[in-house]
Amino acid sequence: MNIALAILWKDLVTEWRARERVIAMLLFSILTAVIFYFALPDQRPETLRTLTPGLLWTAYLFAAILGLNRSFALELENEALSGLALAPGGRGWIFLGKAAANFILLSLVQALTALAFALFYGVDFSSSALNLAAVIMLATLGICSVGTLLAAMAVRTRLREVLLPILLLPALVPVLSGAVHGTLSVMAGEGIPFSSVQLLIVIDGIYLVISFLGFEYILDE
Amino acid sequence: MTPMTKPFSQTKDDSAHTTNGGLSPLEQQATRWRQPFGWLLVVITLVYAWAVFQAPLDHTQGVIQKILYVHPPLAYGAYLGFVITAIGGLLYLWRGREDCDRLAISGAEVGVLFCTLMLVTGPIWARGTWGRWWSWDPRLTVTLLLWFVYLAYLLLRSFSGPGPRTARFAAIYGVIGLVLIPLNYYVIEIFDNRSMHPDNLERGSLGDGMGWPFLLGNLCLGFAFIYLVLLRWEVEARRVFQQRQEALEEPDT
Repeated sequence: MNIALAILWKDLVTEWRARERVIAMLLFSILTAVIFYFALPDQRPETLRTLTPGLLWTAYLFAAILGLNRSFALELENEALSGLALAPGGRGWIFLGKAAANFILLSLVQALTALAFALFYGVDFSSSALNLAAVIMLATLGICSVGTLLAAMAVRTRLREVLLPILLLPALVPVLSGAVHGTLSVMAGEGIPFSSVQLLIVIDGIYLVISFLGFEYILDE
Repeated sequence: MTPMTKPFSQTKDDSAHTTNGGLSPLEQQATRWRQPFGWLLVVITLVYAWAVFQAPLDHTQGVIQKILYVHPPLAYGAYLGFVITAIGGLLYLWRGREDCDRLAISGAEVGVLFCTLMLVTGPIWARGTWGRWWSWDPRLTVTLLLWFVYLAYLLLRSFSGPGPRTARFAAIYGVIGLVLIPLNYYVIEIFDNRSMHPDNLERGSLGDGMGWPFLLGNLCLGFAFIYLVLLRWEVEARRVFQQRQEALEEPDT
């Protein structure tokens, strides 16, 4: 447990000092919002509002991939990854620390991106902010758990950044589906649908268990 | 807790099988079974081809309905391949047995082959009967996603190079792939249940004279699946053995 907290702290401090990852993710997701605006068939307010949940989650996913790719890139320098592997205790805790750091950073980016969407697309999130935050947190937990595991794998292959989305996106289809449906209902003022919550909790549980146990086998040479 | 897998030089079936072309006892057994399976496959294929040829034409769909004798059996093979991949991977992680990892590769490759053929025959049939090449039908969607997962699995293997690390990565990804099958069905059932596929075929749901060719199709493609998995398994074992022999023979630099 201490290892998880230590790694979480290390990742957050590193990010605070460099401020690279969050800024890159944020700029990327806001740029995606701008690009979507030009890609849409028309810019009528009702079209924009209907499409916002799907576009928002597409932006979130792309930003997550960008951030997850960097989450282990730093560990490759000076063989830091081998140092992590030598840490006492179960490696599942290393995973938890890494995943928690990714979760916090991604949540920050998501909140700011939601503001950008609200501004650009004229959507009002204020009345449903809490419900929306709950859906986003549940889905982000799934993204960060399996994402951290797969990022640790992808960073040690020849293709690195290219391989992560190929590995990750098929695994995130259920998360995306639950998140978009949940967001649609929340934005329509219907509250969080039980089906979305149920689905996201099931996925989070499964991915957390697989990743926690699977990480044991990832760090070895 | 330390990982249960061991480096290649310490795994159970290492070095002990130099006299058997690098095959583990399980692989030797599989190789012995492959030959009879091959002959059985040849015989059944001939009978199957004849049965499909003489099967009656469907009144409404015409000749395109004969895809029925290929398409569902391909689906069974595809799913079975992916189950084998996950089980092989889990056994590798649990017991550190390299032969199980090689079985996982065979399952994934043959599974992808069957899945690809299914994704090719399906739209052809759909165009003839439903009037369009592609529909986001639940089974179709799940299969397509699964196809992507296992292509990613093969890419992961090829871009990680040979070695125990790749085997471990692949094993974990194979398990994620298997978990995704029920998860995706669950998603579709909740949000988008517009199935165009018939429910499970019941006895008597096929027209007169169509049952036997269908059964033979299942048998034939089932045997073809087993044969290909066994063949690929043996090829992989021999390839790895050959590589190690060459590495041993190379003078130190």
